[in-house]
Amino acid sequence: MRNLRRAVRITLFLILGLWLHYVLPGQDVARITGTEIIRTDFTSVNRIFYAQADAGASELETRDLRLINTQRKRTYLFGLIRGGEQTMVYRNEDTGWIYPPYFKFDSSDLQAEAQDAQSTAANPEWVVITHYGWRIRWLTVFPNAVSIRPVDGPDYRPIPWFNIGFFVFLIVAGLFVRAMWRQFRERTLEPIGERVDDRIDRTSATIAERRGRVRRWLDSWKSKR
Amino acid sequence: MNFLRLVLFGYLALTVVYICVSLYSRSVRREKLEDRWTEAHPGSGDMVARKAYVEQGMAQYHSSLRKRLILLVYVVPTVVVGVIMYMIN
Repeated sequence: MRNLRRAVRITLFLILGLWLHYVLPGQDVARITGTEIIRTDFTSVNRIFYAQADAGASELETRDLRLINTQRKRTYLFGLIRGGEQTMVYRNEDTGWIYPPYFKFDSSDLQAEAQDAQSTAANPEWVVITHYGWRIRWLTVFPNAVSIRPVDGPDYRPIPWFNIGFFVFLIVAGLFVRAMWRQFRERTLEPIGERVDDRIDRTSATIAERRGRVRRWLDSWKSKR
Repeated sequence: MNFLRLVLFGYLALTVVYICVSLYSRSVRREKLEDRWTEAHPGSGDMVARKAYVEQGMAQYHSSLRKRLILLVYVVPTVVVGVIMYMIN
């Protein structure tokens, strides 16, 4: 039973961790090599990894998708360790008013910025691409680029201020919820429990008393020896 | 349409948070008042006076700034969304 509970807890924790890894912004140091627009027909499997049509447009089954082709610096362990270069393709979609809450409406402007920042390997121009999401090649899934800003060189190390703030907020919120739950248990649940216990005690005492009376009455019919 | 949906469900969720926080805050305040009474009158069994003291304290709480600060539950997320929109776009 304890193992089962532990397994459920670990699974939930893993799902939450993966979801946060998907949704929270990451920052890649990259060199934009090109942009393109492809027509995309989603399947039911990879549909959840895409946002929706541009904020002001209507949703159809198939639509064009903006892509940003880059060479990025490979990172390991949440960006702590840097590696060589790696090809990465980002999609560029509006998240609009829907999940995840990036409130991004300016995909077209971002595409223009990306085209402006295009460079070649001979004369590289480095940028930081803020994005969320994963690249899953066998499902044709791309991370969504959210913003682009120029940096000095490929050795620039972005600091994830938003994520730091978010986790601090998460810890504070967790402690607050715990305090609320404890207060609720101490001031509301336990008094109710005590009252219920009290009533059970009294009822069972009454029942015992009644039974005693019936027993005595029955006993009075027995012959006394 | 999506905007209206976000506003509706967002403020609905925030209302749940608001109710929870205000119940918590009230409960903490009441507990503090009870403890203060016990401290000031050790060994006193005068429940009527104790109740009067606590109720007076709660009346003061209901007109306090601290209670109104809980409305920040609505204000802060709205401001955060505004800031995110400004930063991203």
